[in-house]
Amino acid sequence: MRITKRKKKIIFTTVGIVVTALMLFPVYWMFITSIKPLNEIYVDPPLFFPSDPTIQPYIDIFTSKNSMLHYMKNSFIIGSGSMLLTLALAAPAAYGLARKKLIGVVILMGILIATQMFPSIIMATPLYIIFLNIGLTDSFTGLIIANTTNLLPFAIILLRPFFLGLPKELEEAALMDGCNKFMSFWKVILPLTRTGLITVGTFTFLMAWNELLFALTLSNDNSMRPVTVGIYSYMGEYAAEWNNLMAASFVSSLPIIFAFIFLQKYIVNGLTTGTTKG
Amino acid sequence: MNLKTDASINVQTKPKVKNKKFKKKIDLFTDHLFIVPSLLFFLIFLFYPIVYNILISFKEMDVSNFMDGGTWAGFVNYKAILTEPLLYKSLLNSAIFTLSCIIVEFILGFSLALLFIQKFPGVNFMRGMILVVWMLPSVVVGTLYKWIMAGDSGVLNFLLEKMGIISEGILWVSSEKFAMFSVIVANIWHGTPFYMIILLGGLSTLPRELFEAARIDGANAWKSFLTITLPLMKPTIFVLIMLGLINSFKVFDLIYVMTSGGPLDATTVIPYYAYELSFLQFNFGQGGAVSGIMLFLVIILAIVYLREMRKEEIG
Repeated sequence: MRITKRKKKIIFTTVGIVVTALMLFPVYWMFITSIKPLNEIYVDPPLFFPSDPTIQPYIDIFTSKNSMLHYMKNSFIIGSGSMLLTLALAAPAAYGLARKKLIGVVILMGILIATQMFPSIIMATPLYIIFLNIGLTDSFTGLIIANTTNLLPFAIILLRPFFLGLPKELEEAALMDGCNKFMSFWKVILPLTRTGLITVGTFTFLMAWNELLFALTLSNDNSMRPVTVGIYSYMGEYAAEWNNLMAASFVSSLPIIFAFIFLQKYIVNGLTTGTTKG
Repeated sequence: MNLKTDASINVQTKPKVKNKKFKKKIDLFTDHLFIVPSLLFFLIFLFYPIVYNILISFKEMDVSNFMDGGTWAGFVNYKAILTEPLLYKSLLNSAIFTLSCIIVEFILGFSLALLFIQKFPGVNFMRGMILVVWMLPSVVVGTLYKWIMAGDSGVLNFLLEKMGIISEGILWVSSEKFAMFSVIVANIWHGTPFYMIILLGGLSTLPRELFEAARIDGANAWKSFLTITLPLMKPTIFVLIMLGLINSFKVFDLIYVMTSGGPLDATTVIPYYAYELSFLQFNFGQGGAVSGIMLFLVIILAIVYLREMRKEEIG
């Protein structure tokens, strides 16, 4: 019995390693291509380990006329702006919607779930025309608002279970102590839902970082454009220089890789609570 | 701000018994205040644009007159779109893309979940690494797969030739025959980890005793999977399939980066078609009409989803 259990463990571990390696091979290929000099890219058979690794592709994309740094700065502004606006709107809304006696909770949650399903292109056309009329195209504000339309329903749905989980007595105690509702929300409730706020904050930042369609349609000016549009324009610029393209792809994936390493626990928990209780 | 101070003054001066009832009313009122900012945001930036989009679809609106709001045209755009073969082609493409992705991602995701629900050394690390794939930007995934599946020096062709599956390199992304297959493969790789993590969440809530009991009764692994795991996982599976349906239907970034809808419209899906009409041909009216059709389809899906969700909650 003990031996078979041990054997099972060894089999599972082996299969696990093989599956993970297969799944991650494309990521490996992205990285390995990004450190190859141009003459090693088109050799046949392809090199699975570069014989002459170089950081030239990274130097190229950071010193190019349209520097990667510029695109990353824009993505960072759009990402953090969208995250802050989404959290500022979503946290009180999720709290309000967690109070069962609120009129129309079921209908409101239904509408939220439905709006989450709309493809962005449905929003992109009208937002483009509306923003053009009020001067919000080619502005970070416009991009942040557009992203928030995408993120807000998602954030409220994901945050609500965290507020539902709080004991009501806590808030009552705060109210007894002379806090009003807004103070107790700010001083008592919000700190207790920190986990939820971190989870949703991370998600919204990364989703805004990954966004392409709004960035493409609502900003014609390169000075506002984020990494996603940047990579696409590199495709034209570098054409067949796949090492540079892979370097740009790798650099723009770094925030995601970091977020996962540091916040994996939050993200996985948040995701499963959100979808099963949504 | 004013309201807040008024309320507290009132509460303090009222006698105790009345006070309670009054306070409850105030409470209920302030609860509603919390959702007002979001509600306003939705009305202005979500609801209004969607209504505006429907209006556009009934207007003649292109690059010459869109700043003046276009001119009313009745059903002209819908008539033009509904007689356009490309609409049906893109509907069909969307259906092929969505169905293939859901089926394969579900099977792969479930297999991964069944593997990674086991306890063995390094399992958490492996789960985490696989999840990284899911959070990569679609633009990166598209660029990466364009390179991996490149016809001349793509590593996929090399590996397949080496294994003897193909005799000469295939132009995956740039041929009409294989372009759809290519974007589906890229999307499956990108989306499978999401299925895995949701199914893992569902699997971890199943009571272990049931499986023990089944084993004692002599059921093998396959049988207990069919008779216990699947039925108990039904709610999770339903949610997942709906989310998968929506996410695959929404696909835009991957198509834009890998194929731009081509070659010969082989990968033009509905969202890309709407983009093409509005932002490449600047025919906002017809683009709006395609969006209108999409909106209609999504709302039907949403209603089905919500009804089923409510049944789950009651039952």
